[in-house]
Amino acid sequence: MNYALIVYGAPYSQQAAHSALRFAEALPHRGHRAATVFFYHDGIYNATRLMTPPQDEPNLRQRWSLLAKAHNTSLLVCVASALKRGIVDNKEARRHGLDGDSLAPEFELTGLGQLLDAALTHDCVVTFGA
Amino acid sequence: MVLHILNRSPFASRVHEDMLRAMVNEDRVLLIEDGVSAALKAGITLLPTIDERLYALKEDLEARGLSQRCDPCVNIVDVDGFVALTEQADKVVSWF
Repeated sequence: MNYALIVYGAPYSQQAAHSALRFAEALPHRGHRAATVFFYHDGIYNATRLMTPPQDEPNLRQRWSLLAKAHNTSLLVCVASALKRGIVDNKEARRHGLDGDSLAPEFELTGLGQLLDAALTHDCVVTFGA
Repeated sequence: MVLHILNRSPFASRVHEDMLRAMVNEDRVLLIEDGVSAALKAGITLLPTIDERLYALKEDLEARGLSQRCDPCVNIVDVDGFVALTEQADKVVSWF
């Protein structure tokens, strides 16, 4: 089955990102795939390319990135949640005259329509709330 | 069958009361994160009438040192069991 996961929790603040990653990494054990992960509210902080955790702690951005590469998972970030919190891609940075971008390359800024689309087209949706 | 996921301790939040009101007979509950404290003997009294339809995530119980303190009626599942529960559900609803 194709799964869509929704992540509300900021990395290292709530457990939501850890729970979602553990679930996503377990899906292939039973023949499934995390096809889409949608980051919403404070969950968008998972998408910062500037995340630099200590080496003896889990690197959540790296694990999302590995997940995306291994299973062709779409990592979608709510654009409205992201921009107001300072997570911008190159295009938005230029549009708003900012001196740099902060979105990690595996992630994509999208609208809520993409979330609705995921809910309608995937076999199962699991929300990891914060 | 709807799988309800609760990640809040029933001692710290009252969202489990909303969950109980939304549940029908065959629905199941999976306790994750701080929600696993509902699997304790004192917590189980706050989730009446669920009995054998109550599950708790092993990894989150272990992380909190609660594995040996669960009420015997709780089904303990690991993350693969979590995936299996979502397979069997028509819908998954999270309460937080």
